[in-house]
Amino acid sequence: MSTPGPESPVVLSLRGVSKAFGAVQALRDVEIECRAGEIHALVGENGSGKSTLLGIASGFLAPDAGDVEIGGRRRKRGSPAEARRLGLGIAYQTYSHLLDLSVAENVYLAVPAAERPAYRRMQAWAAATLAEFGLGVPVNVAVGSLSLAQRQLLEVVKSLLAKPKVLLLDEPTTALGPQEVEQLMALVLERSRAEVGIVYVSHRLPEVLGIADRISVLRDGVKQGTFDAAGMTEDALVAHMIGRPLQLAFPDRGAEGRVPEVLLEVAGLRGDRFGPVDLKVERGEIVGLAGAEGNGQVQFLRALAGVERPTGVASCDGGELNTKSPLAALRAGVVLLSGDRIAESLFPVLSVRTNTTIQVLRSLGRVGFLRRRRERRTVDEMGRRLQIRMASIEQPVQSLSGGNQQKVSLTRPFLRGNVKVILADEPTQGVDVAARFDIYEALRAKANDGVALLVKSSDPLELAGLCDRVVVMSRGTIVDEISGDELGERRIVEAIVGSRALKAGAGA
Amino acid sequence: MRFRGWIPLVLLGALILAVSGYTAVRQDAFLTQYNINNLLLATMPLALVAIGQTSAMLVGGFDVSVAALITMCVVTASFTLKPDESTLSLFIGSLAILGVGLATGIFNASLIRLLRLPSIIATLGTLSILTGASLLLRDHPEGTINSDVIDALTTTRFGFIPLAFIGVVLLVVLADLWLYRTRTGISVRAVGLDETSSRRLGMSTGLIVFGAFVVCSVMASVAGFYSAAQVQIGSPIVGGYALTSIAAAVLGGASLAGGRGSFVGTLLAALFLSLIENVLPLFQQPTEYAQMTIGLLILLALVIYQAPELVARLRSGWRGVGRLQTGEGEASAG
Repeated sequence: MSTPGPESPVVLSLRGVSKAFGAVQALRDVEIECRAGEIHALVGENGSGKSTLLGIASGFLAPDAGDVEIGGRRRKRGSPAEARRLGLGIAYQTYSHLLDLSVAENVYLAVPAAERPAYRRMQAWAAATLAEFGLGVPVNVAVGSLSLAQRQLLEVVKSLLAKPKVLLLDEPTTALGPQEVEQLMALVLERSRAEVGIVYVSHRLPEVLGIADRISVLRDGVKQGTFDAAGMTEDALVAHMIGRPLQLAFPDRGAEGRVPEVLLEVAGLRGDRFGPVDLKVERGEIVGLAGAEGNGQVQFLRALAGVERPTGVASCDGGELNTKSPLAALRAGVVLLSGDRIAESLFPVLSVRTNTTIQVLRSLGRVGFLRRRRERRTVDEMGRRLQIRMASIEQPVQSLSGGNQQKVSLTRPFLRGNVKVILADEPTQGVDVAARFDIYEALRAKANDGVALLVKSSDPLELAGLCDRVVVMSRGTIVDEISGDELGERRIVEAIVGSRALKAGAGA
Repeated sequence: MRFRGWIPLVLLGALILAVSGYTAVRQDAFLTQYNINNLLLATMPLALVAIGQTSAMLVGGFDVSVAALITMCVVTASFTLKPDESTLSLFIGSLAILGVGLATGIFNASLIRLLRLPSIIATLGTLSILTGASLLLRDHPEGTINSDVIDALTTTRFGFIPLAFIGVVLLVVLADLWLYRTRTGISVRAVGLDETSSRRLGMSTGLIVFGAFVVCSVMASVAGFYSAAQVQIGSPIVGGYALTSIAAAVLGGASLAGGRGSFVGTLLAALFLSLIENVLPLFQQPTEYAQMTIGLLILLALVIYQAPELVARLRSGWRGVGRLQTGEGEASAG
């Protein structure tokens, strides 16, 4: 790995940067410096100010105080356009794609005006440009029809197009499978060797330790220090992030005394991009759903919840499971924790209280009127039980961190009476380390209550630690099952890679 | 995607041909130079204001003040385009009308961009102000408008087709080429589709939205000329174009959410709406039917425009809450 000396020019420097949103101090007097050829990782829990910092560096947000210098030139007025001119490229966590426009048009809009070709040559030019970066996506389709992984890679490629001096990557691997992560890393390392300064923000600490030269840690908007990656360990980083040493722990499995009883049974289920799938999940069991992104795991999970319409047989607790609508599935006791919390399960502008009780209002009311005190007591109790960190139960959920938002959506299966199966799609995506454990614990608590859980995750470590059993999907079917002593991160990764090899061998 | 944009144009073209063909066969009075000329002239104000409305809708807004602005322009014309004026003062008078449009546009755009008011509320306010101002200037229809100007606008023609209509056709074709084939055109659509992403890509989103609303008002003031030519007097009650212009833009393929639309489609829609109004009296049908027919056709057209999504929905079953586009592997299918 290149280790740029102190003589390399500083391509991005933030000095004394502070920013407050209302009463919340998001950043306090932060200093970050990135040199040419360096990969400078930025880590911190959700809500620690990383995104705010990137927003300020990229000109999207104006700082309350402090200076930003890009390529040695002080930025005058904050605007993304100016930052781009000065040589800053950024891949946003939430992307900068125009989903309705074609891939070619999106690529076209991402390069500086001077480099844009004539419109009639746009398609060919875009295809050639993407090929240069080894990104094989069709250019004439709308970006909205690409997979999440493809969108994420496209976002990174777009940020490289203007040949930036400094490149900011905000969680660039959240939607990527192992192979795509490698592809991305190759791109990133290539840039850093070409003397581009890279600021790399990620939740995935092993990834960060593997790639970064220096690591800066943020906690509650304050920088905890900048460290050489060579001498850093995951534990030490976590300690800086949360302010106390914390074991990356998982709750005990405690499955000893369990009487095997199949709760969810699926036979020959087929649907959009998956099938046939046969699977049994027992009462009190957590089954992991692994696989490279885009192999039907999400569709399978959502089909069980009645969001897609599958064919085949699914039964729950002995009776046939109606997968024709979400309501039918819900009535049968099947609850889906969506991977897209804000869009699909929560009402972002409504309070924690409303979001928690919205499915169980009937049980909190009397002759049609809500009993506020009882509602408040219920929400308070759930907040304590799931350790939801909030200013008050009236706080809008959109102002909570990702982890606390997930906990709010988790309150619902706790409050509903007849939950038999929980389907969790990426339950800890965008969730910080401390909150992860709370979520694992909550999921395990439901298992111990006799619920069957099916958890889809792209993090093999999480699956290995949390689940009793992991099934691996490839091309829409289950190709491997891992349980007992075999169950480990390495074994899961191998199975995913192995199934991918199988897929390639089948000559798709 | 590409295919979708063409649906409105093809459908409107087919409808116009079908209605014209049917009428031409049954009514001799329809396919006369006189009637076609009249039809095209009658289309002018709606076409112009709807083109402006399309511009506002492309960036994700509405302008409901256009109706009042047209009235205001007609009233202004009754002061600045009086009979027996010199050519120079008529020229200045015309500029004054465009100036009213420009000022209104800047006012609206400032409310929307600088003060961040929702466009529908901001322009509703402007609508009320302009309506009041028009009534203040002319409390009843009064003040004849210069007939030379009216003649210049309406009787200049190429064959039997008004020159102005040919101009509008050229304008919309050029505008669509600009919208779909140039960097700035794509930028305008991009802002309408997703302002955050557009800003992240370094576009001047504020300027683009501002410009779109100014264009909308200026087009409405141009429409004011043709309205003035129709009523020929300073009437404070011209109105009626706010919802029709939105209807024409939507029929032409514009999306209420912004980012989608076509100027050619808008012109075809305006022509189609005028055609219905032109044709029904020929069949001795009361004009009330025109209103109802137009309403039904708008609903029908919108259902057809949604057809690709409806078909997809029927195929894949219940997607009531399937808002999340997981979309994996779809590219390989395309």
